[in-house]
Amino acid sequence: MAAQLVFLESPQGDEIKEVAATAEALSPLLAAGWHQVPAPAKHETVVMAPKEEK
Amino acid sequence: MANVNELMNGWGFGRQGTITSPSISTPNTAATIWRHTNLNTKPWAKVPVNEDDRAEIGKGHEFPTQLFKSHYNMPTYEISKYASSEFLAWAMAFSLGNVVLTGTGPYTYVVVPALGATNPTGLELPYFSFVQQIRPGGSAVLDEILLGCAIKGWKLSIKNSPGRASAMCSVECVTTGQYTSPSAITLPAVATPHEFNAGMISALTVNGVNYLTGGSGKQFVSMDASWENNFRPGFFPGSGTQDGYQIQGRFEWGDRAFAIQFVVRVQSGSTEYANLINQTTGTATITFTRDVNNSFTMTIQKMGFNVVELGNTDGIATLQITGVQLYDPTNGLLTVTVVTPQNGICQ
Repeated sequence: MAAQLVFLESPQGDEIKEVAATAEALSPLLAAGWHQVPAPAKHETVVMAPKEEK
Repeated sequence: MANVNELMNGWGFGRQGTITSPSISTPNTAATIWRHTNLNTKPWAKVPVNEDDRAEIGKGHEFPTQLFKSHYNMPTYEISKYASSEFLAWAMAFSLGNVVLTGTGPYTYVVVPALGATNPTGLELPYFSFVQQIRPGGSAVLDEILLGCAIKGWKLSIKNSPGRASAMCSVECVTTGQYTSPSAITLPAVATPHEFNAGMISALTVNGVNYLTGGSGKQFVSMDASWENNFRPGFFPGSGTQDGYQIQGRFEWGDRAFAIQFVVRVQSGSTEYANLINQTTGTATITFTRDVNNSFTMTIQKMGFNVVELGNTDGIATLQITGVQLYDPTNGLLTVTVVTPQNGICQ
């Protein structure tokens, strides 16, 4: 089963990274001061209407 | 008159608000408070302290003539429980501070000690509120919510004995002195935690030695792990008052200490002495697995041995080993992973 993903913010607050939620992946980042944040707001998806064929 | 068996304890599994100065603390709401049993049978005492003027001259004698309100000297309080996925997740999250929560049930908590330089709340750990009640309602014997509580430390003990007592966790808590009475909290029913016992240990490797299988498979006797946050006193200008008594307005960790001691049976070829003399270091992993929804893993990233002492445990020759947990430059000190059905711990 694929590991879940989680968003971490850098200690400086200038970067958000999506990381596999495993102890192996998280330990170095958390130890370096990264911390969990909610998923950043996603861009709104705009659905383009297809052009009518003449 | 009330029997102490009527004492009900509930506390925040989620965070309460941060403490602002002067000490204004937003308590947990009932939605983020659980109720658990406690092997510590005492209520959390509130100890307001008065002082007097005996040291002041000018009264014509050496005797005190007047009382003054001083401060709330709140003692530490122990929550002592059999180890469970819920309680261990709570204890680790609130005592170490850097928590990652994932999942939709069961929930996975990955926890490491926060660093002061990067922790969003500096040297302060998450706070929770603590409710204690005896016959709450119109004629309550006791009904109060203590605000601004934090975990000072914990002890996790694993023994080769039967039953729940083979895996115990006790947590030492502190509180500011701020409280509200009556609490206005209706406690939920007592939670039924998913408890572990020593028979559920599914991984136990220390410094290259696997104590579950192979030549060392039956050698492990017991382990005591502890964490201490060594909080600094939280009285400061603007820390706040309760009933006219000064209260603490923060708990900042001091020099934190992580200690491990364990006992193994000695046998021919035991490598513990060699690991001490050669200053060998390695990871240490302890895992409890109850089922797919309840597990606990503590990974000590780099452990060496400080003392290895030959002794006797119930007539068996044993080695008592005191570990030294070194800070690994990549992975830090320790990582705790807990899987539990309880959502929202330390959130």
